[in-house]
Amino acid sequence: MRSIRRKISAALGVLGATLCACNEPAQAPMAAAGNASPVRGGELHLASFADIKSLDPAVASDTLTGETIELLFAGLVDFDDAGHVAPDLAERYERSDDGLVYRFFLRDGIKFHDGSLVTAQDCKRSIERALSPDTPSSFSAFYDRIAGFKEFTERESPHLSGVVVEGERVLAIHLREPDATFLSAFAMQNLRPVCPSAGDKYEDTWQPCGAGPYKLDSWDRGRGLRVVRFDGWWQPGKPRLDAITYSYSMNLVTQRFKFESGDLDLDRELSLPDTFRYQDDPRWKPLGAYDGIPSIGGESMNVEIPPFDNIEVRRAVAAAIDRDQFRMIKTANLVPLYRVLVPILGGDDPNFPAQRYDYQAALDHMKRAGFPYDPATGKGGWPKTIVYPIYKQGLYELSAQVVQQQLAKIGLHIELKTVSFPTYLMMTKKRGTVAIAPSGWQQDFPDPSDFFEPIFSTSSIELSPEDCNNSSFYSNPKLDEILVRARKELDAQKRKKMYDEADAIVCDEAPWAMEYQYRYFGVHQPYVKDLRWNAVWPNYVRDVWLDKSPQKIARARRERGALGSILEILR
Amino acid sequence: MIQRAFRRIAWALFVVWATTTVTFFINNVLPSDPARMVAGPQARAKDVERIRKQLGLDKPVLEQYGRFMRRLVHVGPAHFDEKDPEHGTCANVWRVHFDLGKSYQQRRAVTTILGERLPRTLLLAIAAILVQTLLGVATGLLAAWKRNTAIDHVTVGVSLVGISAPTFIIGLLLQFVLAHRLRLLPLDGFGDTFGEHVVSLVLPSLTLGIYGAAYYTRVVRDELITAVKMDHVRTARAKGLPMWRVWIRHALRNALVPLVTLIGLDLGALVSGAIVTETLFRWPGLGALTVSALLDRDGPVIMGTVIVSSAAIVLANLLVDFSYAILDPRVRR
Repeated sequence: MRSIRRKISAALGVLGATLCACNEPAQAPMAAAGNASPVRGGELHLASFADIKSLDPAVASDTLTGETIELLFAGLVDFDDAGHVAPDLAERYERSDDGLVYRFFLRDGIKFHDGSLVTAQDCKRSIERALSPDTPSSFSAFYDRIAGFKEFTERESPHLSGVVVEGERVLAIHLREPDATFLSAFAMQNLRPVCPSAGDKYEDTWQPCGAGPYKLDSWDRGRGLRVVRFDGWWQPGKPRLDAITYSYSMNLVTQRFKFESGDLDLDRELSLPDTFRYQDDPRWKPLGAYDGIPSIGGESMNVEIPPFDNIEVRRAVAAAIDRDQFRMIKTANLVPLYRVLVPILGGDDPNFPAQRYDYQAALDHMKRAGFPYDPATGKGGWPKTIVYPIYKQGLYELSAQVVQQQLAKIGLHIELKTVSFPTYLMMTKKRGTVAIAPSGWQQDFPDPSDFFEPIFSTSSIELSPEDCNNSSFYSNPKLDEILVRARKELDAQKRKKMYDEADAIVCDEAPWAMEYQYRYFGVHQPYVKDLRWNAVWPNYVRDVWLDKSPQKIARARRERGALGSILEILR
Repeated sequence: MIQRAFRRIAWALFVVWATTTVTFFINNVLPSDPARMVAGPQARAKDVERIRKQLGLDKPVLEQYGRFMRRLVHVGPAHFDEKDPEHGTCANVWRVHFDLGKSYQQRRAVTTILGERLPRTLLLAIAAILVQTLLGVATGLLAAWKRNTAIDHVTVGVSLVGISAPTFIIGLLLQFVLAHRLRLLPLDGFGDTFGEHVVSLVLPSLTLGIYGAAYYTRVVRDELITAVKMDHVRTARAKGLPMWRVWIRHALRNALVPLVTLIGLDLGALVSGAIVTETLFRWPGLGALTVSALLDRDGPVIMGTVIVSSAAIVLANLLVDFSYAILDPRVRR
């Protein structure tokens, strides 16, 4: 979402659209659907403007890497399309009644890419390797409820005592207290089994090798990688593709050009004009979809810095934000957001006391805060100008202007200050530095706790006030208590109620004014089958297969050559 | 002459050292946290802190600088492998080691990364310089030869457009027409075989070359117009030499002297990386690497690219100086 490369790409995208194709409809899809039943074979081509930095699940942290690791490294459990945990390398798992022990039963005969059998001991070794204090992982805090975690990470114990091998194919994980988030966090990529060649210590030079449906064929840093089907995969007949090729650092214009000529099979990084073009074209519309990976965006207000130390000012901001106006910036990608939890994580109650646009209420809140504002004369409000940091990236630069105008209507004047992304991060995470800033949060793992504990809990501040994810420095003992209870609560219905209660507190006390959820629109070629938009992994292509006959059309198109193209232009 | 050459080389080394030192400290005083960039914007504080320690970023800046300079050029074993804890990140010429450390983001030796990227950038830079020199000299010569005619006006006009148009406009147009519509060339990339490298090189080198050629055209035209009025050229004409010989041997040679300076400076700048062109055509060179490193605050890679860039520019200047001595006998005195 950040990066000058993306900015250049976006600029090129807009320019490309303007120069080359603004008035030109999208070319027709290669062909209509052919076979009804899955066939094996073919190579899928994908691309991204970004690049991946590591293929080791122990350290990989970005979304793009995650989708590749999903192919190379299978976990004991994974997520289904709806984001629910489902067995993968484990044929089943069970949780003890007290919620303190999770027991995983591995499938018989599952193999790593090097041909060796995956055993419970391999799983333990992989977990310890990933959580070792010598491994530069950025997620070990997700697993701090595992028994013996503290002793292991502080080097008091050579092994993680809570991870117990109970047989060649049985692994038990003991927790020091019940943790309803554990299974979701465990299903993420970080602790997935790695081949014996990885050893029990992380090393930068290790060649990625796991137990996923595809294995690494080649990886040219900065350019792309290719994975090929792993024939030892446990599901019969799967995976269906021979290979998948990823091209990295590809700008948006080139992606679109390649997609239309059939050199790319899926395009998820569309410029806004292209998004509309595909959505408006009845030939392409059935081939497009939005992803549903939960994220939230809004204004984070520092409750320790005036005027946002005044709850009425924060409430005024929450009421002054007209969320529908954000859709004017990126209609296709922004969905208005009125509360913390998005529907897929339980935020689906239409009667929930969410934050809503109410201009009169916003003015009333300002009055109660002691800063009455008269819209007719423009007098009143907060007397000082508030610095509002944004970084060089399309969305915040645009949304900031909407926020600036909307807050000016209630007497809050903000001055936009553009900084680099690293500087923005440092400013917003440091106590006492920034009064208000645009903020976003994307799920680390699909659980409501991930949208409350890091960004609204007191413990997040106590951990590190100088580098704090709770950028509003909001602290509420009642909310903290609910979050602690909710994390331990194993009953899904009771848990949902707790998070509704927590959400209501946040909406009312408004450390954030919620604004939008960001989503991506992607479009694929008609011969790409069983492409499902997953709630956790973008570009989820594990089960994809290609209807080969239309691909011949694609190839014929590619091979038409210069003369054919000249004729096409002249026509 | 030799003394002067040594002085220039010593000065060049000082410039590279000074640039490196200034960059190191600027990089360290910038309000940002490389450990946070490695861990990701949402990582929990404990994990960020641990990564900071692993990267050695918790140490005082002067200590980090001291270590960096000690490691930059040092003596080590002639043979070692990448798992060697002391020298695994070094590049070496026999026992002389160069060590820029390990990239925070890629977790690979910076010397290895530069070793992959630099040849690609050099290739692009040389190709672009060739295009712009050949095109620029040819059109400049034509415009001067046919000065005050329609050909001259058109050439000058087109060169003005070329100078004014940013490289990304030229690149995008070339990409759209030659690659997307006519399908004559690949849209982007570097290719895997020699043939693919050559074909992939055409569009980015043309993009950079057209932009540079437009400027060269103006320079060569103006210099030639001045040169043909010189006494020695007039004498050559009076001696009855064919016109093409007068222009090529007597006028053009003089006109090329200022062009050598431009070529040298352009080559140095291009080796630093043509950021927009490399991004547009997905050319995996130093330009794209520099952008990523700056955005990610990847200190070791930033230092590596700065050293390469400053060395390239300094070296190009040195070569220009020395080539002057060859082209213009007055400089030798």
